[in-house]
Amino acid sequence: MEAEPRAGRGVLVIPAFNEAPRLPALLERIAAQGLPLEVVVVDDGSRDDTAALAQAAGATALRHPFNLGYGAGLQTGYKYALEVGAPWVVQMDADGQHDPVDVARLLAPIERGECDLVIGSRFLEPTGYEMGFTRSLGRRFFTGIARLFGIRVTDPTSGFQALDRKVLELYAGDAFPSDYPDVDVLVTAHRAGLRVREVGVLMHPSVRKSTLHGGLRSIWYVYKMLLAVWAASSRKRAPAARSRTHGGPDERDRDARAPA
Amino acid sequence: MNETATLARLRELFLDNPDLEHTRWLALSISLALVAAVLWLVRRRRLREEYTPIWVAVSGALVFLSLRLDVLRELTRAIGAWTPSSTVFFLGELFLVAICLNYAVRLSRAGLLIKNLAQEIAILRAQMDRLEARSAERERA
Repeated sequence: MEAEPRAGRGVLVIPAFNEAPRLPALLERIAAQGLPLEVVVVDDGSRDDTAALAQAAGATALRHPFNLGYGAGLQTGYKYALEVGAPWVVQMDADGQHDPVDVARLLAPIERGECDLVIGSRFLEPTGYEMGFTRSLGRRFFTGIARLFGIRVTDPTSGFQALDRKVLELYAGDAFPSDYPDVDVLVTAHRAGLRVREVGVLMHPSVRKSTLHGGLRSIWYVYKMLLAVWAASSRKRAPAARSRTHGGPDERDRDARAPA
Repeated sequence: MNETATLARLRELFLDNPDLEHTRWLALSISLALVAAVLWLVRRRRLREEYTPIWVAVSGALVFLSLRLDVLRELTRAIGAWTPSSTVFFLGELFLVAICLNYAVRLSRAGLLIKNLAQEIAILRAQMDRLEARSAERERA
């Protein structure tokens, strides 16, 4: 793990808010993989030592002056990656839910040029991952919503993803949400003609008590996401979409249309 | 039928009620006080010039309606209200809804700009930290 950016090297983005108790162990596990990438921890206005711990572990710390939200944290990472000329980004959560062992697996289809966006899915292969009833219902609902737009994914809320530069350029725009970038950004990417694929990954249960989609927030989440999906689908397509659509969408979408 | 005719007559009575001079003066004073408040706030730099047109326009409309209560009466007839005061309340409510929506849009835009600025600061800080570390290394060497 190196803190210095180097042209042509990818970036691993970890948005973190008050993750001091969990971050060092995660950074240690990432370092153990010996991956040729720059680890970037986006400290989203933490009140603890998140940024200092990240720097001590050799990662680059991007510190928000105040809390902006999970989506904004990711976007800061994308903007940084574009700035340093990274060809791709892998994003993972700081709570230890995502396993660094799967980073190479997520990246492989992008490095082979087979797709632009890879989602690490908990449900593509049987991994024994268990989700509560409400969240499972929500996942099924939004999987159905994604399917309406021709995106066949099994885990649309997974934060474990790999993105190439085309996706980064799209997601660095003002339409990217500051809070929950889930199905709405998938719709935006799909409409822009970007190729989406899922790979099965192992996910550990989150040790955090609250999640982005839990409790009363789930009602707000459903409302906000439906509105955002509608808005994303009614906006003009991004320029990339127009140029790529001429190339024929069938081949490009094969992966996203794989049976869920 | 009789009841409808009575109601229509009652409405006419409301609408034909002669204007009270002190009502006119009260409305005029409030309008002018609003103009004075806007100017005072601009002078004290508590209100930026670009936010004043809407308030000047509202003050102007109030002055106009205070001087021409007959126009307000016609407006009341046109929208089907019973009294000029209900028309003023109705227009006031419409104005408040419009201004709230306008400020929600401005707030969204300001929020986006603040987010972009904070992200820029985060990236620049990291670059500055890196430069400082390099410079310290060079000094040690």
